[in-house]
Amino acid sequence: MTTPAERLAPPEHRIAYPNVIAGGALEGEREYAADAVVVGTGAGGATTAARLRDAGLDVVMLEEGALHRTETFVTDPATMIRRLYRDAGTTMILGRPPIIFVEGRCVGGSTVINGGMSWPAPERVLAHWERDLGLPDAGPQAMEPYFTAAERILHVEPNQEDTFGQNTHLFLEGARRLGWPAARAPRNMRRCMGLNNCALGCPTGAKQAMHVTEIPRALAAGAFLVTHARVDRVLWKGRRAIGVRGRFVDDAGRARGRFRAYAPLVVLAAGARHTPGILKRSWLRARAIGRGLHTHPNAKVVGLFDRPLDPWIGTHQAFHIHHFREQGILIGYAAVPPGLLAGALPGVGEENAAWMRQYNHMLTAATLVEDEGEGRVVLGPDRQPYMLFDLSPRDLETVHRGVALTAELLFAAGARRVLLPFADLPLLEGPDQLRLIHERPPVPDTVELMTVHIMGTARMATDPQRGATDASGAVHDTDGLVVADASVLPSSIGVNPQETIIALALRNAERWLEARGVARRRAAAAR
Amino acid sequence: MLPSTRILRAVIAAIRPRGHGFDQPIDDDVLGDIQRFFPYLPWPLRLGLPLGLWLVELGPPLFARRWCRFTSMAPGEAARYLAAFEHAGGLRSALLKGLRTLVFLAFYEHPQVLASLGIDWAGRADALVLRRAELLDDHTG
Repeated sequence: MTTPAERLAPPEHRIAYPNVIAGGALEGEREYAADAVVVGTGAGGATTAARLRDAGLDVVMLEEGALHRTETFVTDPATMIRRLYRDAGTTMILGRPPIIFVEGRCVGGSTVINGGMSWPAPERVLAHWERDLGLPDAGPQAMEPYFTAAERILHVEPNQEDTFGQNTHLFLEGARRLGWPAARAPRNMRRCMGLNNCALGCPTGAKQAMHVTEIPRALAAGAFLVTHARVDRVLWKGRRAIGVRGRFVDDAGRARGRFRAYAPLVVLAAGARHTPGILKRSWLRARAIGRGLHTHPNAKVVGLFDRPLDPWIGTHQAFHIHHFREQGILIGYAAVPPGLLAGALPGVGEENAAWMRQYNHMLTAATLVEDEGEGRVVLGPDRQPYMLFDLSPRDLETVHRGVALTAELLFAAGARRVLLPFADLPLLEGPDQLRLIHERPPVPDTVELMTVHIMGTARMATDPQRGATDASGAVHDTDGLVVADASVLPSSIGVNPQETIIALALRNAERWLEARGVARRRAAAAR
Repeated sequence: MLPSTRILRAVIAAIRPRGHGFDQPIDDDVLGDIQRFFPYLPWPLRLGLPLGLWLVELGPPLFARRWCRFTSMAPGEAARYLAAFEHAGGLRSALLKGLRTLVFLAFYEHPQVLASLGIDWAGRADALVLRRAELLDDHTG
């Protein structure tokens, strides 16, 4: 029974986390043993760990970051970026243009810092996987029950109208005037309050990230979680994976003690950058490992309005424009905190101050682009994974088209001026200048892009030459080693990948359990 | 004070927003915030940023034809010298971008600056945490 004081805190502030070993202060050598070891606790890792535990396996989750409880989340970006983001949010994808990439490094992974968008992969993408890529049971019909289950795990619901701020109303107004239908975004949340702090961790607990859903559920069922545990490589006996080894690290990532975790099933879910990094460090030489990187880049477009719209009040991305999705373009909006938005605005000193004084008059929108070009992940001289990706000419065209459409929407919503992500065309003074975007030759070096959605670096393929994993996410030519994160996505999906990662993790976990006879044993026991 | 700290302080003075209601005397806080960030950066940046600061310090003869160090430039001149990095391309542009990001993040999120913009994100968070708890409590009985 809860006390009156406890009842004044949301349920996510009162979650119990049993069976957690904080590795940050551990020195010396430790060993763990289980039926399955899961590396990473984001969308794929947490879901897989919970499913394996449901099936009766002893599960150990290894997470490089710390466990940060919801009630410790604050709204200060610098504090939360240090705590939740890998490399304090400074990772770059190297290429033309360089792309800023951010991902979570904490229990819950990037689900703790994402915007909570929960779109299933489009049917045409799933049909492409099944029909063109020959992946059995990856089409829309076969995947439907897994998406349904994923939405149940995520607790997907649309935003309630009392969370809409002026940014939402203006975004909708712009879309309405242009005749573009706006899709109400399904999000993984439980009674969102519109605080607009998703990307820094949701202090209200409304966002149903993995650290408040599948992880505590798996822990309560008997799984173990070791935090501050950075996996270096897989351990082998012949071609069979028998565990992993790595280092304990402190909050800043400095190495401390060492560990080995032994299990007959090793699940890699460290994200599309670090999963191929671990595979490559584990003496696997398959050419496909690390190839197929898609970045789903986004470009910011900022509209300046005459009247204040207080962009920090009200939810973000309650709606998306999917009208151009067949062209690989998705349009959304977000409230970026002033300290983060300022870096995207021109100048230093007084020039930047003049722009930022108008912060409360700014609506920040973005276009997300379904990229067709492919990059790769390689190991650097420090044995860490680095991402290489050049925007293809067609992707560059799509970025320009997406930016132009987003700027058009902002002008239609009443913006007086629009700031663009182009170094050679930073500002449009009116809608009559939209043509300038297409009148200049598109040059990749002039575009500023970022992404939070990398995928495809250990993609599923029946042919080992084409993908590092088979049609169920098991690493080709190995036993006992599987992948359960965005790495396995066979192509760019053009929408936020969280729900698809979970759906595929559920689908693949079922297959791994079947292959290991767990399902049969459980059925026999039930009889 | 370490030499690189002295340079960083001068960089903050040159980059930090001025005028338009942004004259809060918070450079020491900005410096402290940036120094707290350093250990969390990946090693190439932990190594590269101090080197970059020395490039800024020793760069005026090379990039601005001024026979002096950056830290001995007059404030307005130092700001113009750094601002020119933005369009220089290559390493200098990337360096300025990184320094701008660090300075702006610490500056614009300072409570005094947020207050001057009329933003109370933290206060709103406290209120909404409580409100959500009440709503869920009502809902679940």
